[in-house]
Amino acid sequence: MSARYIPADVEQNEPDANEVRHVAGAVKNSAEQLAAYRNIDLATLPLLFLLFGGISVFLFALTVGDWDFWMDWRDRRWWPLVTPFSLILLPAVLGVFMWKKFRLPMGATFATMSFLAASWVSRYANFHEFAGFPLNFVSPSTWVGLGVIIDATLLISRSFYITGFIGAFLFGLLTYTINWPIFAPFRMPIDYNGTMVTVADLMGYMYIRTAIPEYVRIIEESTLRTFGEAVTPLTAVFAGFVTILNYYLWVWVGFKISESRWMNRIV
Amino acid sequence: MEKNISRLLLCLVLFLSFSEMTYAHGEKAQQAGLRMRTMNWWDIEIYPKKLDVNQILTVKGKFSPSPWWPKHMANPEDMLAYLNIGVPGPVFVRIDSRVNGVPMIRSTHFKKGETYEFEIKLKARSPGRYHVHPVISVEDTGPIIGPAQWVEVGGDQADFENIITTLTGEVIDLETHGMKQIIIWHSFWVVVGLLWMGYWFRKLPVLMPRYKEVARLGANHANELITMKDMLVSIVFFGGILMAIAGSYFWTQSQYPITTPLQTGEVEVQPLPSQGNVVELKLHDARYRIPGRSFKVEIDVTNNGTSPIRLGEFLTANIRFINKEVLGDIKPVDAQDLIAQQGLQVDDNLVQPGETRRITLRAEDALWETMRLTSLVYDPDSRFAAMLFFYDENGKRYHLEVGGQMMPTFS
Repeated sequence: MSARYIPADVEQNEPDANEVRHVAGAVKNSAEQLAAYRNIDLATLPLLFLLFGGISVFLFALTVGDWDFWMDWRDRRWWPLVTPFSLILLPAVLGVFMWKKFRLPMGATFATMSFLAASWVSRYANFHEFAGFPLNFVSPSTWVGLGVIIDATLLISRSFYITGFIGAFLFGLLTYTINWPIFAPFRMPIDYNGTMVTVADLMGYMYIRTAIPEYVRIIEESTLRTFGEAVTPLTAVFAGFVTILNYYLWVWVGFKISESRWMNRIV
Repeated sequence: MEKNISRLLLCLVLFLSFSEMTYAHGEKAQQAGLRMRTMNWWDIEIYPKKLDVNQILTVKGKFSPSPWWPKHMANPEDMLAYLNIGVPGPVFVRIDSRVNGVPMIRSTHFKKGETYEFEIKLKARSPGRYHVHPVISVEDTGPIIGPAQWVEVGGDQADFENIITTLTGEVIDLETHGMKQIIIWHSFWVVVGLLWMGYWFRKLPVLMPRYKEVARLGANHANELITMKDMLVSIVFFGGILMAIAGSYFWTQSQYPITTPLQTGEVEVQPLPSQGNVVELKLHDARYRIPGRSFKVEIDVTNNGTSPIRLGEFLTANIRFINKEVLGDIKPVDAQDLIAQQGLQVDDNLVQPGETRRITLRAEDALWETMRLTSLVYDPDSRFAAMLFFYDENGKRYHLEVGGQMMPTFS
């Protein structure tokens, strides 16, 4: 027969020393129980925030890197394609976990918020304070609104299939649009020594990056594979589609890694 | 254990205390043969040596991509190249850079064996002491750095400003331009995100009670936790965000009606006119004697000009070996200026007009060792190249590059 655990403050008539093990209970009543649960919230959320902020910034640096570090790399062909494709990973995985375990539609918002906070810390401390670049030239892009869209879609549809089809598609589709208010001031044209440049191009030229010569930038070049000047809408739609595919992949991964059997095996 | 840790910490502190700050840019890092056979830099001037924030530093000189450029390395004739500057980050801002008068905001190509003249104007931004190099970055090869000089910047960075006028007539300071919009829009979306998360965490505790409820209800019934209010709030957020994105886009379009995509593309630059074939060279023999740190080269020199010529300088891997008999006493600009003031000896150093003469030169100096060029003998291809500077009686200079096989001498 297995031993029963009985809180110490619960009186027993005739305890059997061989069968009953008395333990001092950490929680004595429902008020304390609630307080303990509240403390779990207050401790877990900041820790997860730090953890996912660090992971996402590291992941982003490896997969996107210069494309989002510098204002003169955020073009309208590659940046809006590469960034949502990479960034959808954590919202998908964390979204599954939060939904499956808590029925909370906030994985994507939480991931984008933590990424934004960690990005600001990195850009301010590393790029601005340490390396000396003006903060406007290295400030992060914003994704929070798109994260909320994914979460809201998940709650309304209660389906990861529909969330991928609508939410993830919008995540890719609207990447450039949601950031346009931040980018537009850096797209004003300038005649600089007889060369046509944008404000961002000029900042890239002026603020010296010895290890990043101009030709290293992977940005839009003229191509026949577009309709007139409609580069951004075509890229946006394509980005939406590839983000859907990547979202489904990482939702699947999220389901796999949030299965309890992994924890059971470890414990 | 604690003792060991204490000792380790003490060693670390001592090591850091007595370590010198490193300011170099990897001048000696590359293989000797590669440094000798890629880019020749000469007539480098960097002035003034002391300036204040907002004042202008000029970096100028000449360069020539070597015709002996290693075949296995991407060269600036086939691949893109960019005139850059080697300083520790944006301590200066580059306000102008030109090669043969052509603005070098973008990348270009340089022909091997041709000569180019460059000038870079930098505006001091951060106080400090900096080792300033001209650099040519070559696509798929990397940065090739030129000779450096120390520059000291005084003043206060807070005084720095970078004012530009756009094509639409707006006057902006690049140090702060667009920051207001960045802060406003980031703040707006952070508030939206906080509102969304705040809705779900408006009443603590949340995680454990919901976790237990989901576990109790099971996967098929856990959606019972979602209320009609949750649905309505989600619909409001979904629609509201789409409207906010559209609104912010159209607002931005009204604020910035004229914008252009990021600009790229190549520029074309022609080399300086040829100096003609006044002097011709043919390598006969080249040997590097390791114990003496001495490089001996025998060359056949043909003088097609009208005035006798003499060899005054042997330049390789940014080191200038000077023939004092021809050029006199040339002082180094600073302690790191790579000049061997008496490093070049030349036998039979006078070639008359119309004459072809074999001359023997010896480039000898400790700089072979300190700049890690003695490792030339361990390069896998044992080839060298160097720029020679001849002078006629009127002081006119002719530069020609010589290169080829090198044979080491071990005793």
